[in-house]
Amino acid sequence: MTDFNEIKETLVNLDEQRLIQLVNDALEKGIPAGDILNKGLIAGMDIVGEKMENEDMFIPEVLMAARAMGKGVEILKPLLGEEETSARGSVIIGTVKGDLHDIGKNLVAMMIESAGLTAHNLGVDIAPEEFVRMIKEKNASILCLSALLTTTMPMMKQTIDAVVESGLRDQVKIMVGGAPVTQAFADEIGADAFASDAGSAAKTAKALVNQF
Amino acid sequence: MNLMGLQGGQYCPLSPEQIKIVHEASLKILERTGIIYEQGLEDTVQMLEDNGAAIDRDRKNITFPRDMIIEQVAKAPEKVVLCGQDSKNDLHLTRNRVHLGTGGAAIKILDPETGDSRSTTLKDLYEVSRLVDKLDNIHFLVRPCIATDIDEADYDINMFYACLAASSKHVMAGVNDEKGLHNVVEMASMIAGGLDKLIKRPFISVITSFAISPLKLCTQSTHIMQEANRCRIPVALSSAPMAGSTSPLTMAGTLAQLHAEQLAGITICQLTQAGAPVLYGGIPGMANLKTMGYSGGAVECGMMNAAIHQLSNHIKVPNYNSSGLSDSKVPDAQSGYEKAFTALLASMGGSNYIHHSAGMLESMLTIAYEQYVIDDEIIGNCCKVLKGIDCDAEHLALEVIDSVGPGGNFMTAPHTMAHMRTEYYNGNGVTDRKSREKWEQEGSRDIRQRALDIAKKLLAGPKTLYIPEEIDRVIREKFNILLEIQ
Ligand code: B12
Repeated sequence: MTDFNEIKETLVNLDEQRLIQLVNDALEKGIPAGDILNKGLIAGMDIVGEKMENEDMFIPEVLMAARAMGKGVEILKPLLGEEETSARGSVIIGTVKGDLHDIGKNLVAMMIESAGLTAHNLGVDIAPEEFVRMIKEKNASILCLSALLTTTMPMMKQTIDAVVESGLRDQVKIMVGGAPVTQAFADEIGADAFASDAGSAAKTAKALVNQF
Repeated sequence: MNLMGLQGGQYCPLSPEQIKIVHEASLKILERTGIIYEQGLEDTVQMLEDNGAAIDRDRKNITFPRDMIIEQVAKAPEKVVLCGQDSKNDLHLTRNRVHLGTGGAAIKILDPETGDSRSTTLKDLYEVSRLVDKLDNIHFLVRPCIATDIDEADYDINMFYACLAASSKHVMAGVNDEKGLHNVVEMASMIAGGLDKLIKRPFISVITSFAISPLKLCTQSTHIMQEANRCRIPVALSSAPMAGSTSPLTMAGTLAQLHAEQLAGITICQLTQAGAPVLYGGIPGMANLKTMGYSGGAVECGMMNAAIHQLSNHIKVPNYNSSGLSDSKVPDAQSGYEKAFTALLASMGGSNYIHHSAGMLESMLTIAYEQYVIDDEIIGNCCKVLKGIDCDAEHLALEVIDSVGPGGNFMTAPHTMAHMRTEYYNGNGVTDRKSREKWEQEGSRDIRQRALDIAKKLLAGPKTLYIPEEIDRVIREKFNILLEIQ
């Protein structure tokens, strides 16, 4: 039984060099890549996520941790089994058509990645058809829509409608968010989930993946 | 007491030397890094290239030679007059003359009956605008909130209509597209009695977020901005980076980037229409690094907004900026000091058109009727500071000192009578200076309750219809006006 505490601590302390070293050391010792990922890196990011929610850490530090984790995942990726890779839910995220706000959405994408899911960040001003196309292409299980304007909130509904029309609705869970978006609005437009910040968005995304 | 357009400039966070350093840094940013654009701005880009800019069409990047910037920026008017429907509300924006007013596009309001937050409606927009009309220290009306209960397609015309119907102060707002701009200009022309009269006395103006920081042109907003230039409607060139996320973490870095964005924007405007009335619209903001949210109430916002005016003044273009925000969710001690600090700093910096300085909470997401009354008082105090201390013979009062003599008192001196209504700032009634006994007798009410009472009293008065009935009829025939005024 290996102690993953050092990996977790090193991640929380943002020491990227040392983290890479530790991941390589663990592999050399014969520890399965899946364990290093789940019990080390993702568990470490969970701590970071908690610190972020409690405002014990600055977001730039959280981003550094996420980057360090990404470096670790890169090393592990070729060694992870088919099952482990596909078990990581694939998430499509973007800001809806007509809306150019992306700061919050990018934060959500980053936190979803560090929760161990794969986020495909399409950017801003994304048309419903484009979301549909990407769900197919990436075989996504979650669709995340962001809107910061009352003028573009209806576009969330239109995007969901387009997903329904494409016949993909049963394949994806849909989560929405952004400053003017509320749980009530999410219910009204037929979304599966709403989250008010990046930390809870990541948690909810994980929970949604586990529902499949 | 009308304390509008007083002289600021007492607070100078940047020394003359530092102003030059930042200005030079901005020119360097435009020459070396440049700004980027997206599809749809080909004509604008061609215009810039024809006038000396270097275009890298693969990277969609524009760089500007310094001489080009300096030449174009010099064409912008040094003074912009934004009128009210009533000329007593005209704003002469130039040099260090200071005006403060509301800010725009909130989506939530603290309900006056329940005190809880809910979505803003067209009726709120109209009623808040009426309240602003009656609060003397609020100098202009930037469309305070969104009518979330109407269709998006009806936004532009209806929001301008509600503001113009409710207030004779200058009305400024954003529009969704060029069509919205044309409609709004047409409606305002009907009220003015022709487009030429509107251009002569522009009682409306538009805001366009032409830049998406860092250093990127927003296609749609740039189109609207240029169209406003062609229509000769004054336009505020909003760009609003947040230090730490969309501009460097440091204040000087944020100012340098923002000033560069403004220089580029003004250049585009002046090439589109030489002499077009524009407001330098740099709004330095800050990210809360623990959430990346907007920290409007931070004291540094006041400091940076004073500094950005110094930079606009350096290139002799009047400016639009932001202060008087608060991150608090309700009117409380936090909102009081955040607003007072930032509004005073921006005022003492000499800012010409400080929006966001009345009514807003939760940065810019929420408004409250009572907050407008409290902020009217804060702005009054800011303006009083600008007025300073008169020191002429009459105010030095040597004659009175001599005639009252040692051991006397000044309470009944004619000199006291002559100055008692003007020497000190007379509040709007919201500030409590009563004895504890009297205060308790009246129900021990805190400022939020007192302010709400004043707001309700002001709104209970008769509704002034600023759009004459016959013009109103024509407007309603032409446009889908949704506001019913009882
Ligand atoms: C920064 C900003 C801008 C920047 C955007 C820069 C960028 N790269 O994104 C610029 C200057 C370009 C801009 C432009 C405009 N803006 Co703006 N902007 C803001 C501001 C100040 C902050 C937004 C922000 O970044 N917050 C920080 C992030 C971290 O928070 P967040 O976005 O809310 O995201 C968090 C949560 O909401 C959630 N979340 C977000 N997305 C998602 C998605 C999912 C799936 C989930 C689960 C969760 C989630 O998690 C995030 C992290 O915790 C807000 C005011 C405010 N306080 O919200 C106005 C605001 C949203 N803008 C507003 C307006 C009006 C505009 C303009 C129309 C202005 C104009 N007249 O031209 C343009 C529109 C451009 C367009 N077509 O989109 C209004 C909206 C009013 C309305 N009608 O709804 C606001 C409310 C300000 C105001 N009161 O005036 N804006």
